[in-house]
Amino acid sequence: MRLKTSLLKEPKHRELVSCVGWTTADELYSCSEDHQILRWNLLNNETNVVVNMQEDIYPIDLHWFPKSSGGKKQALAEIFVLTSTDGKFHLVSKTGRIEKSVEAHRGAVLAGRWNYDGTALITAGEDGQIKIWSKSGMLRSTLAQQGSPVYSVAWAPDCDRILYTSGKQLIVKPLQPSSKVQQWKAHDGIILKVDWNSVNDLILSGAEDCRYKVWDCYGRLLYVSSPHDYPITSVAWAPDGEVFAVGSFNTLRLCDKTGWSYALEKPNTGSVFGVAWSADGTQLAGACGNGHVIFAHVVEQRWEWKSFQITLTKRRAMQVRNVLNDAVDMLEFRDRVVKASLANGHLVVTTSLQCYVYSTKNWNTPLIFDLKEGTVSLIVQTERHFLLVDGGGIYVYSYEGRLVSSPKFQGMRTDILNAQSVSISNDTIAIRDKTDEKVVYLFDAQTGKPLGDGKPLTHKMEVMEIALDQCGPASDRKIALIDKNRDLYLSSVRHLSRSEHSIIKIGTMVKTIAWNDSVNILSGVQDEQFTVWYYPGAVFVDKDLLPKTLLMKDASELSSTPHILSYVGTQVTVRRVDGSLVYNAVSPYPAILHEYASTARWEDALRLCRFAKDQALWACLAGMAVANRELTTAEVAYAAIGEVDKVQYINFIKELPSKESSLAHMLLFSGHLQEAEATLMQAGLTYQAIQVHINLYNWDRALELAVKHKTHVDTVLAHRQKFLQDFGKKETNKRFLQYSEGVEVDWEKIQAKIEMELAKERERAATTSVRSSVAARR
Amino acid sequence: MAKDPLDEAGLHFDELNKLRVLEPEVNQQTTELKEECKDFVDKIGQFQKIVGGLIELVDELAKEAETEKMKAIGARNLLKSVAKQREAQQQQLQALIAEKKMQLERYRIEYEALCKVEAEQNEFIDQFILQK
Repeated sequence: MRLKTSLLKEPKHRELVSCVGWTTADELYSCSEDHQILRWNLLNNETNVVVNMQEDIYPIDLHWFPKSSGGKKQALAEIFVLTSTDGKFHLVSKTGRIEKSVEAHRGAVLAGRWNYDGTALITAGEDGQIKIWSKSGMLRSTLAQQGSPVYSVAWAPDCDRILYTSGKQLIVKPLQPSSKVQQWKAHDGIILKVDWNSVNDLILSGAEDCRYKVWDCYGRLLYVSSPHDYPITSVAWAPDGEVFAVGSFNTLRLCDKTGWSYALEKPNTGSVFGVAWSADGTQLAGACGNGHVIFAHVVEQRWEWKSFQITLTKRRAMQVRNVLNDAVDMLEFRDRVVKASLANGHLVVTTSLQCYVYSTKNWNTPLIFDLKEGTVSLIVQTERHFLLVDGGGIYVYSYEGRLVSSPKFQGMRTDILNAQSVSISNDTIAIRDKTDEKVVYLFDAQTGKPLGDGKPLTHKMEVMEIALDQCGPASDRKIALIDKNRDLYLSSVRHLSRSEHSIIKIGTMVKTIAWNDSVNILSGVQDEQFTVWYYPGAVFVDKDLLPKTLLMKDASELSSTPHILSYVGTQVTVRRVDGSLVYNAVSPYPAILHEYASTARWEDALRLCRFAKDQALWACLAGMAVANRELTTAEVAYAAIGEVDKVQYINFIKELPSKESSLAHMLLFSGHLQEAEATLMQAGLTYQAIQVHINLYNWDRALELAVKHKTHVDTVLAHRQKFLQDFGKKETNKRFLQYSEGVEVDWEKIQAKIEMELAKERERAATTSVRSSVAARR
Repeated sequence: MAKDPLDEAGLHFDELNKLRVLEPEVNQQTTELKEECKDFVDKIGQFQKIVGGLIELVDELAKEAETEKMKAIGARNLLKSVAKQREAQQQQLQALIAEKKMQLERYRIEYEALCKVEAEQNEFIDQFILQK
């Protein structure tokens, strides 16, 4: 990726340009100390003077009133705030008329910023004050006061906090007066510019110590640049939060959100005092100290999938290269390319007006449809369809270009969704809520309606990243989520019982995850280990099995914040913190095993495991066999990994007389006690249910069942007595004391009763055995 | 000889026997003086012209010398600033080189990772063939 810059021969402004701001993707306003405001039209390359301001107005900062989200018409949309050295800020209309001038600070007003919904304006001055103003320019409050000038200020994504500079320190202050203020020393020189991105929630700062730094919203340092030759005079996030731009003397830099630099340009601009990205994030403008306005657009972005490598060569052209046969195709577009995504055999490209869908089999005839609302901010692909996010909503399209669904929920804000907070699979969509980050909304991809009873998945911690598995039946769909503590959890999306979503922890210190595109294998970086969960579903079947199904590789070279770009086939592509790509190969056997299991070819699966001689593979097979109630295979697999106790239990299950009780014991085997009990009770096997509880020393429940069904009370009491005797304890449980009074314990009688129950069950099973044996064999 | 009474009256005759008030000799001398004066004035005028031309020339020379001097100073300054410019350019190029080096390092790491993958895959293939 790099910047293609364009600079006029002669500067249009006579003095230094202090600030720039985009109105649309092709129109820019620039203000200069020659008191002029210029409008730059990029479509016809025209530049004209909007207005000549009074001689005493020296502009410092400008910010356009935000375009309202949700498509509502805004009366105030065509206005911007302009701050100046005389301590005033001015609300200026698009035509250049000063609608209102407000005396705001003593000394210059150094920064002015609207919040994201345009309800408030914040200004920071040389006098060290920060003030909040209403939309119409009425003073609401003075938020902060300090001894040194505030050079820059930025809103938090939720508009509840602000970030500002205080000399070498950065301060995050909530608007609520009583809340805690965060403050930390960020640089060794005075901080000149800050920016806070709403999509990835990261903070960017540039200072006179010639460095720029990236912070997370808690003030933890994520990246620090090497020192430049001159102070960093401007920083700006691209709207989608994937890249940012840094300006310094004769310097313009394009960096990844993790901080490493994609490209460096050394144009002859003087100091770049301000950088602004256009709303679609494809180009940026810089306010230059020598009166120039520099334009740059991002080109040479790359997408790779299997053997295809696609490069954005020009604004409207892409080059597709198939590395297998070196075939090159050129793709041309009518408008500027805004976003593109390549996965699952399809390339999806959005321009400012249209969406192009190419199949990797045919680059000549794309499917083209018009977009509802211009700028697409995110494309997520899955095997059967893809998801587009724009300012107005979330849309699921099939690769044939048909609108499949458009999920919505209360308080949805699409402008801040990113690849970490949205996930899609063939049948399910998951979206992390922004107002309450513990909540994940789940939708049916076909209908766009909430799944199940419509209740979202709620985790006990803030969720940072979500990912849905990509294949298998919809009923088995699972979601992996990483929470604020970087713990990895797995949960079933569609759950059979009416109980709460069970969310089970399967990893700690997980930095990044990705599902395979064709098998339900999860890869991730856990602490210093590159980890592959060959069969994450094992956690629902047999918790102890999970650690055995992992592949762990030392990945100390992946260092602090790696990011898994893709997991296609057997290859995991990871981007390191310094921007280099690292590839990891995963054995193909687990994928084959998954396929055998899903098609119930257990003989083949066994043969594969015997051939590969891998413990992890055997463990996966054991899990899969248990999940599919394939006891013979499970027995072999458990034997192979040396779990003798489990082999024994499986043998015990195999000898159980009826289908119901073996099903119940399978559930017990997986640790689902309640379901097991329910199964037995449904089948009318009350004694067996009681016995299950007795075996688990679950005395209270056993007694409760016995009393409730008025049977085997004495059995429970007898076992309890025996248990107490063995351990030399006295009865203290009040209920047992109460019932033991009236009941006589006679072991012979109890044995006879048990025998009778078992015989009854055997008898019943015999009548259904023909059917059940056929089913079992299948 | 007795004095000419005319002489006494202050009247004289010249050669052309015209009556004159001045003595012919004086008259002649006056005329001569007049001629000489005219000559002198002419000569002075000529001299002035020549001197004027000379001054002009010298002025021009001075001007030229001045411009040359300025030029020389300019050139000297330029020479000094070129060194600085080169320094700045060098700095810029150094920055660009550093950038490229970083990119190279990234590619190197990527290449190494790919080599490792290749080795792993070869090993896998070998193992696969051996076991068959």
